[in-house]
Formats: sequence, structure tokens, C-alpha cells
Amino acid sequence: MEYIDRLPSMDLMRSEKMMLAQLIIPVESAHRAVSYLGQLGLLQFRDLNDDKSPFQRTFVNQVKRCAEMSRKLRFFKDQMHKAGLGLSPHPASNTDIELEDLEVGLAEHEHELIEMNHNSEKLQKTYNELLEFKMVLQKAGDFLMPDGNHSADHETELDENVHANNDYADSASLLEQEMQPGMSDQSGVKFVSGVICKSKALRFERMLFRTTRGNMLFNQAPADDPIVDPASNEMVENIVFMVFFSGEQARKKIHKICEAFGANCYPVPEDSIKRRQITRDVLSRLSELETTLEAGLRHRDAALNSIAFQLTKWMNMVRREKAIYDTLNMLNFDVTKKCLVGEGWCPIFAKTMIQDALQRATFDSSSQVGIIFHVMDSIESPPTFFRTNHFTNAYQEIVDAYGVAKYQEANPAVYTVITFPFLFAVMFGDWGHGICLLLGALVLIAREKRLGSQKLGSFMEMLFGGRYVLLLMALFSIYCGFIYNEFFSVPFHIFGSSAYKCRDATCSEAGTIGLIKVGDTYPFGVDPSWRGSRSELPFLNSLKMKMSILFGVSQMNLGIIISYFNARFFKNSIDIKYQFVPQMIFLNSLFGYLSLLIIIKWCTGSQADLYHVMIYMFLSPFEDLGENKLFWGQGVLQVILLLVAVIAVPWMLFPKPFILKKLHTEVAPALIRFQGRAYGILGTSDMYSDEEPDSARHPHGEEEFNFSEVFVHQMIHSIEFVLGAVSNTASYLRLWALSLAHSELSTVFYEKVLLLAWGYNNFMIRLVGLAVFAFATAFILLMMETLSAFLHALRLHWVEFQNKFYSGDGYKFKPFSFASLTDEDE
Amino acid sequence: MGFLVTTLIFVLVGIIASLLTRICCNKGPSTNLLLLTLIITATVCCWMMWAIVYLAQMNPLIVPILNEEE
Repeated sequence: MEYIDRLPSMDLMRSEKMMLAQLIIPVESAHRAVSYLGQLGLLQFRDLNDDKSPFQRTFVNQVKRCAEMSRKLRFFKDQMHKAGLGLSPHPASNTDIELEDLEVGLAEHEHELIEMNHNSEKLQKTYNELLEFKMVLQKAGDFLMPDGNHSADHETELDENVHANNDYADSASLLEQEMQPGMSDQSGVKFVSGVICKSKALRFERMLFRTTRGNMLFNQAPADDPIVDPASNEMVENIVFMVFFSGEQARKKIHKICEAFGANCYPVPEDSIKRRQITRDVLSRLSELETTLEAGLRHRDAALNSIAFQLTKWMNMVRREKAIYDTLNMLNFDVTKKCLVGEGWCPIFAKTMIQDALQRATFDSSSQVGIIFHVMDSIESPPTFFRTNHFTNAYQEIVDAYGVAKYQEANPAVYTVITFPFLFAVMFGDWGHGICLLLGALVLIAREKRLGSQKLGSFMEMLFGGRYVLLLMALFSIYCGFIYNEFFSVPFHIFGSSAYKCRDATCSEAGTIGLIKVGDTYPFGVDPSWRGSRSELPFLNSLKMKMSILFGVSQMNLGIIISYFNARFFKNSIDIKYQFVPQMIFLNSLFGYLSLLIIIKWCTGSQADLYHVMIYMFLSPFEDLGENKLFWGQGVLQVILLLVAVIAVPWMLFPKPFILKKLHTEVAPALIRFQGRAYGILGTSDMYSDEEPDSARHPHGEEEFNFSEVFVHQMIHSIEFVLGAVSNTASYLRLWALSLAHSELSTVFYEKVLLLAWGYNNFMIRLVGLAVFAFATAFILLMMETLSAFLHALRLHWVEFQNKFYSGDGYKFKPFSFASLTDEDE
Repeated sequence: MGFLVTTLIFVLVGIIASLLTRICCNKGPSTNLLLLTLIITATVCCWMMWAIVYLAQMNPLIVPILNEEE
């Protein structure tokens, strides 16, 4: 046991040792100190101003300024996005800009941009109006000209009628009378012309018809080009309309309706010469406006480009400043108001680095007073910090997803690195599919650098993050594929010839009684003769179920042994004597014994029925075993194991609560006295003890020992273990179930798709068959089965393995670091 | 190739693998111990898998019965 203590410590096994440090920083070097600490990224500040609202904190103004600046930056980004420009990916030269200068610069840029936008909006509006006016003028010509022609025609007609038909003098004169009022009252028929969008045209017309009681003529013609609507930035189809009416009332009504429907009215002179003149004016103004608009756009684009060059750098700067001020807000001012006091967790190995950074900060800010950095005691549990690299990071995240390890308890990730891909492979075992997975993993690893710097979608990111997990999964899958002897469900004779041969030369009984085993066992893996035989499933099922039980019992034993090492580390001898020992005894006397029986049965080839043996071990332990006897003394051994298992249950249930109670009643009074003394020492040596909200050093009041609570807790724990022993062992049978499913799916696709299609001589059918086989393999077997086996292997680790030893109620170490900021705001 | 011989082969492969990692990636005692743990775990897992399948086939209770149609 001492050898274990002499082994070097494994960083990944237990989390880094942390210390609570107190920083006393003079105000002038505070900003710089926090900035350097942020670059270092190894200190997690505690929020000493927890009870204050965000507006009561000291540096609230600076935070507001930073927020304002980041709003401006977001505005620029939006504008650039709208204009279709991109951010320049290269960060500009790293000349430091002062925050105040940046603020002023940003305000100027924003003002400029807003003005430019406003102007261009106005120009655009005027441009639109002119465009509409132009359309109305064009179409109005079409509407009015026929009238003019019409009246001219009528004139000539009238003359003819007058000359030709003297008989119809009355009618002619009537016609004349009709026409003349028409002609002389041409000024009485008025019109309103304008533009309305197409969707509203029908309702508009109907409304006009109703209000003027039908005394109107509505002419419309679609506009040639759609116009950009400035409000919605879309192209809208318009219609040019002309409403002929008479009377003042009608005019007023029509104008109101035009306003209501948002139709723009433009006055069009009836005289065609005037119309042509106005059209020429409008056209020239339009071309002027176009050039002005373009010039405006170019100006704006130039301004945006000059900003784009530096935008990323500015955004980073503002983010950092905001983070620094947020952190400064967590610190407290001391009595003299000249120093800031802060507390934080940092790993012990980082102490020198932090002290270095603080010294540099003092030097760079030309402060007279150094920064004080000293260790404090604390009662609170420190955060958990594991130093991981690319490879172990994915596994640590898998473990953390279930629960972050308590401070310094054993980290299951150490074993998960291997057992997780291994259990995956047990469920996935096929070396053909394993090679496909391997290719995928190698592609991801080969492109590590390129994919690492890009921004990936969430699915690709998960896949990329788990590339090493995928690699190991693939390698173990290839190994298990060789063991199960399956290459896309086809067995091979790689490791020698099969051990099974026909009983005689004619092989006549091969289909009824079967082959016979001659010679040595097939040296590596499942004998290829089994595939396709009728007794394949009974054999493989028996093999895989027993394999699952064996793996399950091993992994659970590993879990209990890790709990022993945890108890040893935390010097908790109660846990060792009254939890570890009875748990080991219980699990192994029942399921360890079952594993032993399995191995003995395999070694001896006995025909004993293990179900029968296990069940009757409980039901009638003293009965004679008869033909189920596997070894001498089995009956006696079974009785002993049963007794030991029955004793183990109260052993893990009762002693611990009583001993804890005894400990508490003995030790607690002494502890209070000790704490009282400790207070005295602290009071004299520490000047700041009055001011500091020293929550870490106040003990949480006298913890009451609630016996019934402890007892119930222990009972729950014991029941969970005892019942869990059965259910968890059975749960491992999913290794069998998924492996069977994979093998069967693979067989079906191979035999019923590929072989079937290959049987035909037709090239097309073979091609289609191959394609269906490829798709089915890729989507169902490679994707769905991978996810399924991944999930079940994960569950086996999270529940069956970890509930033997893992408490997982710690919290993760989140240092103040600039590196972690970049991902937050995006 | 009996059971024991192949078991010895597995042990040998495990030892060689740990020596190789010690030679090529020697980065401090903690990492070394971690790599050793990983290799031991992997060797034990792989050996168990092989041993279970081998033992199950040593004295089989049923034999392959071929399909009639062929």
C-alpha cells in the first residue's frame, strides 16, 4: 500500500490543488493588474459585491461606457452587413489605443454614418417620387391623348353630321348639344392622377366607385418598373391610375381616399406640350439625383471600409475593457479608499506566475506601492480544475456533462479514455465499419488546424471536438471486428482454418446433427464456421450474454476499488471499513461467483445450467446440486457465500450512522473551542478584518448533526447498492443486445440487398443494389448505430460505473481569462 | 497456440507498448503514469475480450449445424 503512496501523482486523476488568495491592489495599478491577470487566465475572482445591484457598484459608469461603445460597434457591423461588406479577418497592427480616444472616435464615426444614412434616405425618397411622377406623366399621356383625339374626332364627325344629315337636325343638334357641353365643359371634368401599389388597386377602385356613387371613370395601367419601397426595402409593383370626376365634393373625397390608401397623387397638365416639357425636367432631375445617390453610396462605403479595417480590433478591445471593469466591480474598496481588495481561487502551481504578472503591473503603472498577494484559509470547497490537452479534453467533457468532480476526488476520465471506446466497440464490432470510422476520424485529425480556426456548425463542432474519441472508437471497433469475425458481416479465415469439420467424408449429417470440433480452438476470435449455420444465434447469444456479465462485474469492481482509493485519500476510514468492504463482499459473493461459474463452465465444458444454480442458491441452498455440480465443494461454498452476502447488507447499513453520531458528540465541543482560539489569532494580526466581507473564513454556524437524516441517507445508499447490484449487472446485457442488433442489420443488408442484387446478371440491377447497400450502410449502420452505441456506452459509464464512487457535485474552475471572452459575445 | 501462450503474447505486447511510449513521449512523471495506466487498461480490456471468446469455444456444448439449402 505504501508503494501506492510513493507513486508520482497523476494530474488527471485528482483535480489541481487550489488556494484561496487575497489581493490588495492600489487603485492606480488596479486596471493594469486585472488586465495582466486576464491575459494569464489562471485566477477565478470571487464576487465580493454579491449583494449589490449592478447600479450600486463602483465602476458602473465605465461599464456603461463600454456597453455604449459595443452598441456603436454592433451598429457599424450591421451597417456593413447591410452594405454587403465583410470584416477584414486580419487584425490590424497592434498599436494600443487609449479607451477615451476610441470612445471619441467611435462617436464621430457613428455621427457621420447616421448623417449619411439620413441624407441618402431623403435622396432616395425624392428619387422615388420623381420616378413615380415620370411614370404618371408617361401613362397620363396615354390616357389623355385618346380623349383629345376623341374630341377631335367628334368635332369632325359633328361637322359631317351637320352637313350630311339635315333630317337629323334634331338629333344632330341634340348630339351637338351633348357634345358642346362636353367640349366646353371639358374644364368641368377633372382628373386626379397618381400611383398606387398593385395590391391595393382593386380596393381603391371600389372605394372610389362607392364614394362617388359611380360618377367617375377609373383608368389604370401597370407601371413598367417596380420601385424600391424605402420602408421595407423591397421592390413593389405599382399601378398608374387616373380618376375622372366632376364636382368639388368628389375631388375632396377622392383626395382623402388617396391619402388613406397611401397613393401618391401628381398633378399632370392636360396640355401635351406642357407635359412634354415637364417630362424633360423630371428626367434631367432624375439623372442628377442618380449621380448624387451613387456618390453618396460610394462615400458611405469608403467610410465603412475604413472602419472595417479596424473593427475586429476595436471589438476585442471593448470586450476586454468591459470584462476588466466587470471584474473590478467584484473587488472591494478598503477603509482608506486607496486600495482594492479582491479574493480569488487559483491553482497552487500558478502562484509564481501570478506574482510575476502583479509585479509587472506595478512596474508598468509606475506605482509606488506593490500589490500584496497572500494565501487565505477557507472552509468553502474549491473549484475543480483539470489540466487537459487536446486528447483528454473530450473525455473530460464527457465526464463533466454528467457532473463536475468534487474537489480532488478521483476522476473517472482516466479510465473512461479506454473503457468508453472499448464498450462502444463491443456493441459495434465489425472491422469493415471500423475502417470507415477510422477514415473519418483520420480526416478530421489531419485537418485539425484548418477546422480549428473556422467557425463550424454545432454538429460539425461536436464531431470535431470528439475526433480523438472517434479515433479510439474506430481502432477498438476494428479489434472487436476481428474478434467477432465480421467484415460487413462476412467472416474470414484470417487466423487459420476453422476448428469444425464434417463428421465423415460425405458431410451427410452436417444439416442435422452438425459438424464436429476437431483440432485446436480457432486461435483468435469467433470461428468462421458459425456464420450462416442454424445454431449460430444460440451460440453467439450465450457467448455475448456471458461476456456482458463478465465485463459488467469487472467494471463495477473497478468502480468500487476507486471508491476505496477515494476514501483512502480523504482519510475516511469509516468509509473503508463500513462501506467499501461490505460492498465488495456483497457484489463479489453473488455476481463475482456467477462470473467464476461461467469461467469454470467454459473451461470444463460441463452441462450445468447456471440459471438453475444461481436461483436455487437462494431458494434452497442446502439441496443437493446433482448434475449442476461444477466443482467439488460447490454446495458448501454457495452456503458460505450466501451467508456472507446476507451479513454484508446490515454491515453497510447500520454501523456508519451510529459511529458518525458518536464522533460528532465527542469531537464537536472540542472543535468549537478550537475555532474560538482561531478567531483570536486572526483578530490581532489582520488589519482589514473589520472591513472585509470575509465569508470564506466565517464558519457556517454550528452544523447540527441530524441523526435521522444521516440514517436515512445511509439506508438509501445501501438499498441503492444492493438493488443496483442486480439491476446494473443486468443492464450490462445491453452490450449483448446492441451487438446482436448490429450484426443482424449488417447480415440483412449484405444478404438481402447486395447478394440478391448481385445474383442478377443485369448491370443496372447490380448498380442499384450496390447503391442501396452503400446508403443503408452509411446511414443506418454507420450513423445511427454509431450514435446508438455511443449513447449506451455513455449510459453504462455514467450510471453503472460512476455510481459506485463518483459524487460529481463540484463546480468548475472558470478563471478570468481574455481567451474565453472571444466566444461569448458572438 | 494455446491459451497461455497467447496470454503471454498479450502481456508482451503491453510491455512493448509502454516501453515505446516511454521512449517517444517522455513528458514528465505525471504524464508517464497516465500513459502507463491507459496502456494497462487497454491491454487488459483487449485480453479479456479475446480470452472470453477463446474460452467459450474451447469446450463447446453446441456445434454448427449447416443450413440445408446451399
